[in-house]
Amino acid sequence: MADLAEIRQMIEAALPGAEVEVVDETGTADHLRATVTAPQFEGLSRLDQHRLVKAAVKSRFDDGAIHALSLRTGPPR
Amino acid sequence: MADAELKQKVEELIAANPVLLFMKGTPDMPRCGFSMRVVQVLDSVDVEYGAIDVLPALQPLREVTAEISDWQTFPQLYVNGELIGGADIVEEMFESGELAEALGVEQPEVSVPAAAQATPPAQSPPLQIE
Repeated sequence: MADLAEIRQMIEAALPGAEVEVVDETGTADHLRATVTAPQFEGLSRLDQHRLVKAAVKSRFDDGAIHALSLRTGPPR
Repeated sequence: MADAELKQKVEELIAANPVLLFMKGTPDMPRCGFSMRVVQVLDSVDVEYGAIDVLPALQPLREVTAEISDWQTFPQLYVNGELIGGADIVEEMFESGELAEALGVEQPEVSVPAAAQATPPAQSPPLQIE
């Protein structure tokens, strides 16, 4: 079970200036969905955008707090 | 360090199949909602694809795909030897028409896969009496 606020802070810390929304999809706080809008995503493929976000929260995957993180990412419009 | 023999096998499969899906379960019986979503997208664009069930060798395959594509979660869709993405990216590219383009097929007219249709719609506007 993950702390949603902590997950958001981890993403924001890795991507300063990002707008991050984290939602608990299942009510069990281990299947999360995040929408991340970050200036760092400009010019990156979606794969690389997702890699950056997954890397930011890797420790919470590794310790089992998160089982799945669904992502929608992009640069600011 | 990934198993060298398995890695070579995976690289051969990716090279031999223009559209290849690594998934949990099979297209007929997906064992994970994310894998099921990609199957639904591929079925709706009506493309032939190879599918590999990763569950019998999940951890070794994670290590292999981490080395090949820097990606460790499944499903993974490969088109012409390149990783396209997992369920989120595949769905996003399907909705935008980029997936059909990458696959070289026509975008289906009904561009919403079953999974998206199952999502409850946003609250409908109040009825108006004219």
